Amino acid sequence: MTKPDMAGTTAASSARKHRHLKRRNLTNAALKFAGLSALMLAGAITLLLIGTIFWRAVPAFLQHQVKLDVDFAQAAFESDGAIGSRDTMIYANYGELIGKALEATFVQVADERDKQTLRAIVSPSARAELRDTLLANPEWIGTRQSVWLPVSSRVESFLHSSADGPNTRSLAPQLQQWLAALERSDATRRSFRLPFFKRGDSRRPQGAGILGALSGSVLTLMVTFALSFPIGLASAVYLEEFAPKSRWIDLLEVNINNLAAVPSILFGLLGLAVFINVFHLPRATPLVGGMTLALMTLPTIIIAARAAIAAVPNSLKDAALSLGASPVQAVFHHVVPQAIPGVMTGTILAMAQALGETAPLLMIGMLAFIVDVPGSVTDVATTLPAQIFLWAESPNKAFSQNAAAAITVLLLILFLLNSIAVYLRNRFERPI
Amino acid sequence: MNPMIDQPHQDQFSAPLAKNASPKMSARNVHVHYGMTHALNDVSLDIYEDEVTALIGPSGCGKSTFLRCFNRMNEMVENAATTGEVRIDDKNIYDSKTDVVALRASVGMVFQRPNPFPKSIYDNVAYGPRLHGTAETNSDLDEIVEASLERAGLWEEVKDRLSDLGTALSDGQQQRLCIARAIAVNPQIILMDEPCSALDPIATGKIEELIEELRSGFTIVIVTHSMQQAARVSQKTVFFNQGSLIEHGPTVEIFTKPKKERTKDYIMGRYG
Repeated sequence: MTKPDMAGTTAASSARKHRHLKRRNLTNAALKFAGLSALMLAGAITLLLIGTIFWRAVPAFLQHQVKLDVDFAQAAFESDGAIGSRDTMIYANYGELIGKALEATFVQVADERDKQTLRAIVSPSARAELRDTLLANPEWIGTRQSVWLPVSSRVESFLHSSADGPNTRSLAPQLQQWLAALERSDATRRSFRLPFFKRGDSRRPQGAGILGALSGSVLTLMVTFALSFPIGLASAVYLEEFAPKSRWIDLLEVNINNLAAVPSILFGLLGLAVFINVFHLPRATPLVGGMTLALMTLPTIIIAARAAIAAVPNSLKDAALSLGASPVQAVFHHVVPQAIPGVMTGTILAMAQALGETAPLLMIGMLAFIVDVPGSVTDVATTLPAQIFLWAESPNKAFSQNAAAAITVLLLILFLLNSIAVYLRNRFERPI
Repeated sequence: MNPMIDQPHQDQFSAPLAKNASPKMSARNVHVHYGMTHALNDVSLDIYEDEVTALIGPSGCGKSTFLRCFNRMNEMVENAATTGEVRIDDKNIYDSKTDVVALRASVGMVFQRPNPFPKSIYDNVAYGPRLHGTAETNSDLDEIVEASLERAGLWEEVKDRLSDLGTALSDGQQQRLCIARAIAVNPQIILMDEPCSALDPIATGKIEELIEELRSGFTIVIVTHSMQQAARVSQKTVFFNQGSLIEHGPTVEIFTKPKKERTKDYIMGRYG
C-alpha cells in the first residue's frame, strides 16, 4: 500500500465516523423532543380536564342574591298570645314574609298572577335561610331589616349565562325587567355559597350541599385507617423481621401482592357477603364501608410498610442486638420508628385511593340519596365520590354544577393528602 | 489439600503472657456453616485477659465469623449453624441454658461501620443501661453516660451537646460513641470488627490509642485488615486463611519469625 492510499482510507473512515456521530446526535434530539412533547401533551390534557371541572364548578360555589327589606312584624310570630318564642320562630310563614317584602319593593305590581311570578325571583331555600338568620338574631322581631336572599334556580341560570356570554336562557320578560330594576338599585350581588358546605343532599340543587358526603367520607376513612394501619404495620413487621423462611410464607407473600391488583368491586362483594350478610352489621354505614375499604387498602399498606422496614439498615438492629436487646426489642426500638415515615407515606397514599373509591361502596349500599348528615359510624351515609356520581347522573344542569364543585373539593383533598405524603417522605428520609 | 490447613491445634494453644492465668475465652473445634458454605473449619484457640488479640487474614478467611461466635451474632444470619464449644469464663455459651441477652451484656461489640442510633448522643450511650435496668436513678444514668464517654475519650468533645444527634458527629467520633455505648453496659469483653476500616488515619490513630487504654479492664479481640494495625495494637495475633486457623502466637513472633510459610507470605504481602 502507498502512503496517499493510507491517507485516503483514514479520511474516509473519519468522514464515516463524522456521519455516524451526526446521525446519533439527530436521534438523541428526536427522542428528547418526543419525550418533551408527550409530557406537554399530558400536561395540556390534565390542565384542560381540571380547568373544565373548575369552570363548571364556579356557579355551584357562587350564588346571586337579592337585597330585600323584610318586615319581621310581630303578628307573624304570634301564637296563643306569646310573641317571639322559639316555636313561633321555627314555624313562622317565611314564604309570606319574603313575598310581602318583594311586593313592597315592586309596589306597581298589582295583578295577582304577576305577584305569583314576582315571588319566583327568590329561591324556596331562602325560607330556611331566613329562619336560621332570625333564630340567630331574635331581637329583629318587630323591626325591618335588609337581608340578602338567594335567587331561584331559574333566575340563577339566567343571570349566570347572561354574565358569561350570549343570553340563551329564557325568562319571563317581566322577571327580566324586575331583575334589571334590582340591579340598577344595587340590590343584587354574587357571593360565596356557604350553604354548599353546611348542608346534606337535597332534591333541589340549590339546597344541596356536600357536608353529608364529606362527613361520610371522613368517618369511613377513619374506620379504614383505624383498621388498616395497625394491621398492615403488624403484618409487615412480622413478614419482614420475624417470619421463618418457609413455603407457606412465600405463598402468603405472593397472595398479598396479588390482592393489591384485585378489582376493588370484589372487595365490595366480600364486604357485602361477610360484614352485612354474616355479621349483620348495619348496611350503608361508614362502619361497613370503612371495613370494606380497609380490606382493599391492606395489601397496599403491607407492601409499602415492608419496603420501608427493609430500607432500615441492618446495622441498627445489629447494634441493638449486640447491646443485649432481644430481637423484638431491637425491631420495636429501632427498626419500626425508622420505618414509620415510610409506612405513613404508603398509608396516606392508600387512604387517598380509598377516598376516591366508589365501586366497593356500591355493593354495600352507600351509593344512595341520603339527606341527613351522619354523626357516627353507624348512621347511614354516602361518600364524596358516590355523591359526585349521583349528582352527575342528574339531567338537571344545576346538579351537574354541584357535581363539578364536589369534584373540586375531592381533588383538593387528594392534593392535600399527597402533599402530606411527599412532605413526610422528604422530611424524614435522611441518610443514616 | 494443604496439610497445614487441617492440622489440629489442640496441643498448641497460646500461652498466657502472665503466668498461671486461665483463659478468659476459649474455642474448641468450632465449625460454622452458612448453608452449604463451610465458613469456619475446626478452630480452637485460647484468649487471655488484659491483652488485645488481633485476628488477621485475607477477605473471607473466617476471622469475622470467628469473632461473632463469641457473642452468638452469627445466629442472626439465615441458615447459619455453629458446632463445637465456645467457653467464656469456663461456661459454654452455646449451651441451651445460656441466656443470649446476659451473654451480650458481658460481651460488647463494635462494628465495621460506625452505627450510632439516630438518637441523641446521651440516648445512644444510655440505651444499654436502660435496657438492662442497671441505673436506679436518673443521676446514676447520667454518671454511667459520663463515665462511658470519658472512657471512650469523647466526653470533652461532646459534653456540651449531649442532646445532639449521634449521627451528626464525624465518623471517628461516631465510632468512639459506639465504643462508649458498648462500655456503658459494663462488659468484660469487647469484640471489634474492623473498627477503623471506615475511618481516616487521624481518627484511626485515636481509636488505636483508645484500644491501648482499654486493654487494662477489658479483654479485646479485634479483627483487622491492616497488618500494621495488628502490629501496633495487639499482644497476640491469630492468622486465618480459608476458614482455618493457620498460626497464632505473640504478635512480635508472628511478625518477625512466623513458623508457617503461608503466614510469612501473607505478612510479606504476597497475597490477601
